[in-house]
Amino acid sequence: MIIFALETSCDETSAAVLKTPDTSPSLRRRGLGGGLELLSNIVSSQIDIHRKFGGVVPEVAARHHLENILSVIDEALNSAKIKPTQINAMAVISGPGLVTSLMVGVETAKSLAFAWQKPLISVNHMYAHIAANFFTEIVFPAVCLVVSGGHTELVYLKNYFEYKKIGQTVDDAAGEAFDKVAKLLNLGYPGGPAVSAEAEKFLTLKISPPCFKEGIKGRSKNLRPHPNPPLETRGGGCSIIFPRPMIKSDDFNFSFSGLKTAVLYAVKKMEAKEVKKRVPEICFEFQEAVVEVLTAKTIRAAKKFGAKTVMLSGGVAANRRLREKLEEAARRGGFEFSVPEFKLCTDNAAMAAIAGYYLSLKSKPRLDEWKRVKADPNWELT
Amino acid sequence: MKIITKSEKETFKLAQKFATKLRGGEVLALIGDLGAGKTAFVKGLAEGLGVKNIITSPTFVLMKGYTAQKQKNKKAKKQLIHIDAYRLSSGKELEDIGATEYFSDKNTIVAIEWADRVKDILPAGVIKINFKILEGDKRKIEIK
Repeated sequence: MIIFALETSCDETSAAVLKTPDTSPSLRRRGLGGGLELLSNIVSSQIDIHRKFGGVVPEVAARHHLENILSVIDEALNSAKIKPTQINAMAVISGPGLVTSLMVGVETAKSLAFAWQKPLISVNHMYAHIAANFFTEIVFPAVCLVVSGGHTELVYLKNYFEYKKIGQTVDDAAGEAFDKVAKLLNLGYPGGPAVSAEAEKFLTLKISPPCFKEGIKGRSKNLRPHPNPPLETRGGGCSIIFPRPMIKSDDFNFSFSGLKTAVLYAVKKMEAKEVKKRVPEICFEFQEAVVEVLTAKTIRAAKKFGAKTVMLSGGVAANRRLREKLEEAARRGGFEFSVPEFKLCTDNAAMAAIAGYYLSLKSKPRLDEWKRVKADPNWELT
Repeated sequence: MKIITKSEKETFKLAQKFATKLRGGEVLALIGDLGAGKTAFVKGLAEGLGVKNIITSPTFVLMKGYTAQKQKNKKAKKQLIHIDAYRLSSGKELEDIGATEYFSDKNTIVAIEWADRVKDILPAGVIKINFKILEGDKRKIEIK
C-alpha cells in the first residue's frame, strides 16, 4: 500500500510517501508493526522567517504554506518515484494547531483526494507524533510522553490505534517553558535548542558553580561547592535550585508555568552582568528541572498502568538530555524504550502517513471521506 | 475596584466569583507581568463559567475556545475564548486568525492576556484588569 500524507499544522510544510507491507489485514491487525518503508519525507521549514518575530506568526505561516505546498508535494512524489495513480490512500493532519496553517494542508489534501479519487484519512497531530515511533514493532501496552511547543501529554496505548490520554500540562507546555526562558535570557527563538545548547556548555565547559547563598531551600548549610564536581552533579552541588513542579502529585499532570516564574525571579535577583555570566548554569538547572519531572511522571505512569514500553515523541523529544535521561530511567525500570530518530521528532508528514496507515487498519476509509475532513484547531486527544 | 489577593488560590476564587457577573459579550483585557496571576484568573473565570476542560496556555496557538457546560439557556451556549498576545506586537495578527470576530458576540466572553500588546484592536467598553506583583505571593488586582 502507498500512503501519501500532508502536514501543515504549524510552521513546517511537509509531504511524505510511505510504503506499507502487503500482508493480509487479519495478520496486520494482530499487532504486526514495522516493515514500513519511507519513500520520501520533504519538510520545508519557515523557522528562519519566524525567528525575527520570536514565534510563529499565523498569517505569515499560512501564506508561506500556500506558496510552498505544491512544490513540496511535487518533490515528495518525485523523490519517491511515485505517480498519483499509484497512491492507495491519503492522510492529512487536521488538528490541533494553528487554524490558518491547518487549513492549507487540509483543503489541499481534500482537493487532491477528490481529483485523484483517493480515500483521505484525517489524522490528529498528537497521535501522529506518537505514531512516529511505529517504524519498528512496539511491545504493548505502552505509555508515551508527547512533548512539544504546544503540548505536554501522557498517553496510554493498548495497541497501535487504541489509546487514552492519562495526563497533561495544566498550564504551559514544556516546549513553551523553554521558549519563554529563552526569551527571558535573550537567547532568541526557537528556545528549546538555544537553552539546551547553553545547558550543554555548562556540562562540557568546566564551570564550577559559584555558591548562590540566597533562595536555596532544603540544602544543607554545610554543603560547599565541590572544586571539580562530577558531571552528573553539576548544577546540583551548590548553585541555583529551581522547583520540580508537581513531581510528587498523585495524578499524571504537569505544570511548567511556575517554573518559568522561578527562573524570572532568580534572574531578577541578579545584576545584568551576573546573569550573562551564569546563563549556561541557569539553562542547565532549568532543563534538569523539566527533564526530571517529565521522566519521573512518565516512569510512574508506566509502572501504574503495567506498560511494557515507554515511548517519547514530539518536538521536545529532540532534546538530547531528555532522550538520554528517559531512556536510562526506562531501562532501569525494566521497560522497552522507543523514541523516533531526530528528524521524525519535529513536525513532518511521515508521521502523518504512519498514523494514517494504522488508522486505515482500524477502519477502512471511504472514497468520499474528504467530504467529512475539516481543520479543527482544538482537536484534543481523549 | 481594587483587590489584594494573598495567593494564586485567592486570585482564582476572585475570578470565579467575577465570572458569575458576566452576561456574555464582554472582552476582558488582562495586563500584568509574567507570574502576576493572569492565567490563574482565566482558570478561575473558566471554573465560574462552568467550563470542564483544563485551561492550558494558548501562547503557542494564540487562541483557544471552550464551551461552558453549566448553562442557564441551553439554546445559546456560552463560550470562553482565551487569547494570549504574549508573542505579538500588534493586534493585526489577532485579526488575521479571526479573534476579533468574537468581540461583539453576546454568547462569548473573551479574555486576552498581555492585552497591552494589542491595544489597537481592543473594542470600546473593554474591561481592563491590571495585575501587580506585590511582595511575595501578594497581588494587587484592579478591575475597571
